[in-house]
Amino acid sequence: MRFALHRLLRAALTLLIVTALAFFILRLSADPALVILGPDAPPAAIAAFREAWGLDRPLPLQFLDYIRAVLRGDFGRSMINGAPVLSLVLQRVPTTLEIMLPALLCAIGIGVPAGVFAALRRNTLADRCVMAASVAGFTMPSFVLGLVLVLVFAVDLGWLPSGGNDHWWSAILPVLTLAAGGAAVLARFTRSAMVEVLGQPYIRTASAKGLLWRAVVRRHALPNAAIPVVTMVGFMVGGLLAGAVVTESVFSWPGLGQLMVMSVASRDLAVVQCILLLVASTMVAANLTVDLLYGVLDPRLRRGGGAH
Amino acid sequence: MGLPGKKHSPPPLEGGGWGEGCDHPPVVDDRTPPPNPLPQGEGESPATALIELRDFAVAFAGVPVIHALHLHIARGDAVGLVGESGSGKSVTWLGALGLLPPVASVSGQVLLQGENLLTASPERLARIRGGRIGLIFQDPVSALNPIHRVGAQVVEALRVHRDLTGGAARAEAKRLFDQVGIPDAARRLALYPHELSGGQNQRVMIAMALAGQPDLLIADEPTTALDTTIQAQILDLLDRLRRDTGMALVLISHDLSVVAELCSRIAVMYAGRIVEQAPTDALFDRPAHPYARGLLAAVPPLSGPRQRLAAIQGSVPEPWNMPPGCAFAPRCPLAAEDCDTGVPAMCAVSLGHSAACVHLAHDVGLRREADRRGERSDAG
Amino acid sequence: MPGEGRNARAVGASHPAPSTLRVSTSPARSAGEVLTELDNAQRVYRAGGSLFGRHRLVQAVAGVSFALQRGRTLGLVGESGCGKSTTGRLALGLERPDAGTVAFDGTPMPPRGSSAWRRVRARMQLVFQDPLGALDRRLPIGTQVTEPLVVHAIGTSEERAARAADLLRAVGLRPDQAARYPHELSGGQRQRAVIARALATQPDLLVCDEPVSALDVSIQAQVVNLLIDLQAQFGLAMLFISHDLKLVRLIAHEVAVMYLGLIVEQGEPEALFAAPAHPYTQALLAAVPDRRRRGPRKLLAGEPPNPSERPTGCAFHPRCPVAIVRCRSESPALLRRADGRLVACHLARGAA
Repeated sequence: MRFALHRLLRAALTLLIVTALAFFILRLSADPALVILGPDAPPAAIAAFREAWGLDRPLPLQFLDYIRAVLRGDFGRSMINGAPVLSLVLQRVPTTLEIMLPALLCAIGIGVPAGVFAALRRNTLADRCVMAASVAGFTMPSFVLGLVLVLVFAVDLGWLPSGGNDHWWSAILPVLTLAAGGAAVLARFTRSAMVEVLGQPYIRTASAKGLLWRAVVRRHALPNAAIPVVTMVGFMVGGLLAGAVVTESVFSWPGLGQLMVMSVASRDLAVVQCILLLVASTMVAANLTVDLLYGVLDPRLRRGGGAH
Repeated sequence: MGLPGKKHSPPPLEGGGWGEGCDHPPVVDDRTPPPNPLPQGEGESPATALIELRDFAVAFAGVPVIHALHLHIARGDAVGLVGESGSGKSVTWLGALGLLPPVASVSGQVLLQGENLLTASPERLARIRGGRIGLIFQDPVSALNPIHRVGAQVVEALRVHRDLTGGAARAEAKRLFDQVGIPDAARRLALYPHELSGGQNQRVMIAMALAGQPDLLIADEPTTALDTTIQAQILDLLDRLRRDTGMALVLISHDLSVVAELCSRIAVMYAGRIVEQAPTDALFDRPAHPYARGLLAAVPPLSGPRQRLAAIQGSVPEPWNMPPGCAFAPRCPLAAEDCDTGVPAMCAVSLGHSAACVHLAHDVGLRREADRRGERSDAG
Repeated sequence: MPGEGRNARAVGASHPAPSTLRVSTSPARSAGEVLTELDNAQRVYRAGGSLFGRHRLVQAVAGVSFALQRGRTLGLVGESGCGKSTTGRLALGLERPDAGTVAFDGTPMPPRGSSAWRRVRARMQLVFQDPLGALDRRLPIGTQVTEPLVVHAIGTSEERAARAADLLRAVGLRPDQAARYPHELSGGQRQRAVIARALATQPDLLVCDEPVSALDVSIQAQVVNLLIDLQAQFGLAMLFISHDLKLVRLIAHEVAVMYLGLIVEQGEPEALFAAPAHPYTQALLAAVPDRRRRGPRKLLAGEPPNPSERPTGCAFHPRCPVAIVRCRSESPALLRRADGRLVACHLARGAA
C-alpha cells in the first residue's frame, strides 16, 4: 500500500514538472499571436488576440490558471479553430493506436526472437548477420526508412498507398517504419540479456540435471532473460510515441503525431500541452506497469526477501 | 623453461605396460607377474568398473588442457580428486558429461559400464546426466535458478528421470528434503533459493541430484563457499548418503583434508594430468610424487609443532606454455635432466598406489631388478 | 625438503631450510607497547526498510575489546556474520564505533575523513581477500606500490622508484616486474604486490582480512611465510582475520574466536586449539576435516545465526549442546581463567 502511494506521488510530480517545463519553454520561445495571425497583422489585432487568450498576463499566473483548469478537466481551446482541445486530441488517439500497437507487437515479435536466436548461436555467422541487421535498424533514421519504403512499395511497385489511412493496408508501411527501430534495439538487448543468463551457473546445473538443451533454454534461460527485456519494452513505449510523430508526418497519417507537428508549428499552445501531458502520462503508466511486472517476474525483488 | 610444447604422453602398451618414463622394460618373464601401472579400485578389475576414463583428453580451441587421463571408479567407491587451479579437476568431469562449451573438444573414452558417453546421442546423454550420474556444484546459491522455487526444481528432476508428477512428485520431493536433512521440509519446498542459506541450498542441490537415483555422484567443490561448521554437516551428509544408497562418490576439491575424510582413494592432479593415485592413508603417509609431497607440506597442521610451511616455488604453468617433459619439473626440488625428455607415465609404487615421476621409476625399477634376482630361485 | 635437483639452489635462495619456528608466547618477547586497543567497541547497522518502512538493527560488533602490541599477531576467527571483518575495519578507523572506543598508539582514532585521520593512515594498512580487486587494472604495479608515498608526499620521485624496487624485492617479486599490469601476474604475485604496497609507508599495523583465501594452497603457503618474515623483519603488528583455523594457528601469537559480534574465547593458539573451552570453539575445531578421525564427529546443528535476530542471553545458546537455563537469560561476560585463557561461557570457566 505504501509502495503504491509512493509511486503515485512520484508519478504526479513527474507530470507536473513535464507540464511546467513545456509550458514555460513554449511560451518563451515564440509569440503565438504573431505565428497565427501572421507577422503582417496590425498591432491592435495582435494585442486583442493576446488579451483574449490571456497571453498578456505574467507567466507564473498563466501557469496557475492552466493547472487549475486542467484539474477541472478543462484543457482549453485550440487557438486555430476554437475547438475544445481534449476532444480534438482524444479524437486522434485511436488513429495513432492503430499504428502504435501493431508496431509494438511487431517490434517484440521480431526483435525478441531475433535476439534469442543470435544469443543461442553467438559468435557464429548467423549471430553476426542478425546483429548487423540490428545496427542498420536503429541507426537508420525513421524518416529515411519511411521514405525508402514509400519509394519502393508505393511508387515503384505500387502495391501499397503512400499515405493516408483509407484502407487497413495503408497501415502496413507506417507500422513497419515505426517497428524497425524498436525491433533492432530489442534484438540487441535481448541477445545480451540471454548471453548473460546463459553464462550463469544455474544453466549448467539444469543441463547436469538431465534436461535437453531445448528445455534448458525454454524453462531456465528465457524466463530469466525476460526480466530485463520486459523493462526495455516499457521504455520502448515512449520511443514509439516519439517515433509516431515522424512516421505520421511521412505517411500523412492523421494521428496525434501529425496534430503535434501542426500545433507546434503554429504555436497552438493548449493543444501542444495537452498532447505532452498525454504522452507523459502514458510513459509514467508504462514505467509503473513495468515496475510491478518486475516484482512478479523476479522473486528476489519482492518485499521481505532474504535468507532464513 | 617455457618452450611451448605439446607433449603427448606415450600411449600405454596393450594390457597396460611401462611407458617411456619408467626405466625398466616390460617384463615378459612368466615367473614374475607383469607390472600393473594402473591402480585398481579396492581390488576390483577394470572390467567391473562403474565408470572408466580412458585416454581422456580435453582441448580448448586447440590448446590441450587435460592430457590422456586414465581413471576408473568402481561401484560404491569414494574417490577424491585433488588439485589446484589449472589442474583440470573440474574440467575433467564437465567434459566427460558433455557440459563444456562447444569451443572445447573432448577425446578418448568415457565408459559407463561399457557405454561410451562421448559418442552417445544428446538424448541418451541427457538421460544419463542426473539419472546415472548426478552432479553438484560449488556456490549453491548461484547454481540454482533464482526464479523457481526449490521444490519445483527438485520436482523437475523427478519428472525427467522418474516420470513423477503432481502430488506424487511433491511427496517424493519432501522425502528427499528429509533425507538430506532440511528441517521443516514441507514449508521449505515453496521457498526460493535466495530465501535459504548456503548450507540449505547445497542440501537442495544434493536432493536434486539424488532425485534421479544416480549410481555416481560427482561433487565439485561442494563445500568451498560454505562456513566451516556447515561444511562439516554437508560432508557428513554426503558420507551418510553414500553409505545408505551404495552410490559411488567423486569428491573434487583443492583441500586435501576434506577429501581425506570421505574418500578411500585419492587422485592428485597437476596441469591436466593425474600425477599420483593412492589409497588415502598411503598418500598421506608415503606420498610418492614431489608435488603431492609439496601439497601436504604446504598445509599447516591443527596439532603438532608450529613449523614454517614448506612452500612450493613458482606457479602452475599455463596450458599454452607447458614445459617439455614433466609439467612439475620447473618447480620440483628433485628436478633432473631426465625430467625434460618426456612426460613420465604412471608407475606403480605399491598395490593401488602409483605416481608419475621419473625418479620413482628408477627406484621401482631398481627394486624390481633386485627382487627378480633374489626371487629367481624361488619363482616357478 | 632438501633438494638435490637443479631447482635446489633457487629454492634455497629465497627460503632457508625450514626450522621449527618456536614462537614465544611470553609477553616479554614482544616490544610490549600496545598499538591498537579496542574497548567494548560496537558497530550497529540499519538494514532493510524503505522510506516509510521500519529498518532492522543489525549488531555487527556487539562489544569487542582487545589490545594488540607491536610485533605481535592477533588472529580473528569465526564464520559468516561473526563480525570479524567489521572489527578489522573498526581497528583501521574505516568505521566509527557506535559505542566504545578504538585507540591507536594511545590516542583515540580520529574521525574518518579528517586530516588527523589521513595522517594516521600511513601507519596502518589493509590487505584483503581479492588482490585483483585491490589493484587498479590500468596502472602498472610499480606505480601502485609507490602510490601511498605519493599520497602522503614522502620522498622524491627517484627515492620512490628506489623504494619500489626495495619493496618488490622484499615481497619476493623482481624489480623488473614493476612495469607489469595486474592481469599479467598470477594470483600469488598480485597478492604480493598488494602487500608491497601496504608496506610502502612502513606502517606499524597491518590488517589482513582473508588475505590468502582466494589463492591456491601452495601459493597460500608462500604468502603466509612472507607475512611471517615481514613481521619479524619490520616488527609489524598484525590483525589476521581468517576462517582458516590452521593458518591462524601458525601465524598468530594470540587467537580470538568470534561469534555474532562478540569474542567468545581468546588465548594462545596452540593451547586454545588443543583444549578449547568454549562450546563454539569446540564445534569449530571438530568441524575441521581430519583424516585421522575415527568414529562419528560431533556436529554442530543449525545454521550460522542471522545477525539481525540476536538470541536473548548468550548468543550461542540456541545451537549449544550444553546450554542450561541460565544461558537463555544471561549473556556471559568474557572472563580470564587461571591459565590466562579468556572465555565467555557460564559453564566453561574453572575447568582449566
